[in-house]
Amino acid sequence: MDGGRTFLAATVGPVLVALIVLCLAPLGVLLVVSFFRVDFVSIVPDPSLHNYAQVLSSGSYRYLIAKALMSGATIAAITAVIAYPVAFFIAKRIREVKAALLTALLIPLYTGDLVRIFAWRLILGREGVLNSFLIWTGAIDRPIETLLFSPTATTIVLVYNYLPFMVLGLWLSFETLDDHLFEAAADLGAGRTTILLRLVLPLTAPGLVAGALMVFALVVGDFITPQLIGGASGVTVISAIADLFGAAFDWPLGSAIAWTLLVAMVGVVAAVVVILGRTPWGSAAFGRG
Amino acid sequence: MAPGEGGQAPLLAGRGLHKRYGAVHAVRGVDISLSTDRYVTLLGPSGCGKTTILRMIGGFETVTAGVIALDGRPLLDTPPSRRPVNTVFQSYALFPHLNVADNVAFGLALRRLPRDEIARRVAEALQMVRMDSMGARRPRELSGGQQQRVALARAIVNRPRLLLLDEPLSALDRKMRKEMQIELKDLQRRLGLAFLHVTHDQEEAFALSDSIIVMNHGVIEQEGDPETIYRRPSNAYVADFIGGSNLVAGKVVACAGGEATLETAFGPARAPCAPGVAVGRRASLCLRPEQLVIGVGGSLGGTVRHTVFQGADWLVEVAAGSAALRVRCPDEEPPAVGGAVSLRYDPAKAWIADGALAGDA
Repeated sequence: MDGGRTFLAATVGPVLVALIVLCLAPLGVLLVVSFFRVDFVSIVPDPSLHNYAQVLSSGSYRYLIAKALMSGATIAAITAVIAYPVAFFIAKRIREVKAALLTALLIPLYTGDLVRIFAWRLILGREGVLNSFLIWTGAIDRPIETLLFSPTATTIVLVYNYLPFMVLGLWLSFETLDDHLFEAAADLGAGRTTILLRLVLPLTAPGLVAGALMVFALVVGDFITPQLIGGASGVTVISAIADLFGAAFDWPLGSAIAWTLLVAMVGVVAAVVVILGRTPWGSAAFGRG
Repeated sequence: MAPGEGGQAPLLAGRGLHKRYGAVHAVRGVDISLSTDRYVTLLGPSGCGKTTILRMIGGFETVTAGVIALDGRPLLDTPPSRRPVNTVFQSYALFPHLNVADNVAFGLALRRLPRDEIARRVAEALQMVRMDSMGARRPRELSGGQQQRVALARAIVNRPRLLLLDEPLSALDRKMRKEMQIELKDLQRRLGLAFLHVTHDQEEAFALSDSIIVMNHGVIEQEGDPETIYRRPSNAYVADFIGGSNLVAGKVVACAGGEATLETAFGPARAPCAPGVAVGRRASLCLRPEQLVIGVGGSLGGTVRHTVFQGADWLVEVAAGSAALRVRCPDEEPPAVGGAVSLRYDPAKAWIADGALAGDA
């Protein structure tokens, strides 16, 4: 027993230390700083809730936080709709080239944010590929100005960026689904819609939740894409935090916004888990009997 | 043919069934006919096409050529969801997110039956498979045998015309398999429902069936009740696959009145023969291990090569010429290995089946 405990300590210990140092410590520093205040160019350790009061009373910060959460949820929803058929196809209809397809799916992730974003600017820009093509076909006379630097453009590029995460989450769920379940449902009289609603959705819910959480967190944290693609609409809460840490040198306020955002995100995720956990789908997804 | 049997239309009739997967010809011209109230098994080694036939009837496999009719009406254009047949899958395929009662209610709920009728029929079906106290459990909380029962209840609750069972007992341990065999047969009798059961296990087929269809390489080798299949195999393949008969190949030199004489490496042998055996054809003398008796003055002689203790008796392998004969020896002490023995058998109980196994002299 003692040997077992030593082994446990030896294996879990380093992981725990790494987790604390790498993940929790920086957040702790942010939390502490968020209660301080700035006096011209120095941070004064004079704890108060002043920064949080400022965040919550400011309409623009509240708007930016809400916009970030909405954006995360919207992109998660859009990627889910696109990823379902893709994941099903890769998991259940492809045999030989499965590994190749999955790799191809991940290739955009290897190229780096900026390269991808500038590629999209080439496609969506005023003299870009899409406008040129539409003019060439005669569909339009003058280039569409709003293709680039619009909320729509931001949405398109965010969906493109984070679709692979959703596909991977759902693909894993589909891979573990026994094909005989579909046959059994058909055998008992279920049509395609019933099979989709009563089997596929509940049984792939774990993958959907995993994919949605990844996409949600990544979209909320992405400020480069909105900034370079969204134009005037590209201000995000993250870019506001970055400004406060950089040019404005107000680390305490920046930290307070960061923590407010974090708490809001955890709140959204917890709400989703609780609501799903009460449905029969959810209890299948989270393994409760 | 029994009186009256000819006039009655069969429950299910498949004619000229073929299935090709690319270059593989999995089912090659099978005719199958099932009547109500009978337990029929499709028996054969893996890859013989038995599961493909079951899946064609269930609607999960298209038919390359041929027709299937149920109650005299064509079945093939009907999707699986509207066929009045239900399947028990090898992997059970229970819905993991639903509890036992909801699994069983699945088909009834889709038919929009009244709630109280669904509840009553689910309770009835669960009681029939002795799972009435388990309705609230999830499939993963059940043992293999219990999952099997739920899969059965989920199928029979819909009152199908025909129940299809795809190797339903193969995932169970031996003891559980024996118990489930008895329960399956009992259930089939009580329901008065036609069961078509696919298996590769001949013991299972014997225990369950009113009729056995032996398949090999996509064709039916023989169809009949268990005793006929066991005692009077129509050809060497069936004799070898069922009961592990010793086969002595030879050439038919005389054949009349249901008896044939075979010229073998051990000399001529005369025994009742299968239809199809004819003078000049190759045939096999079938001697099951329990028909051979070790003693003096027998017509076959050889040397004891192995003895294997089997509990109730010994299995003795005797090298006779180029053949190896397996003999059941009920004595407490088996003959010594390496010793010479003489084997005899009752020719009236022996059997001559058509053809010889590939590789037999």
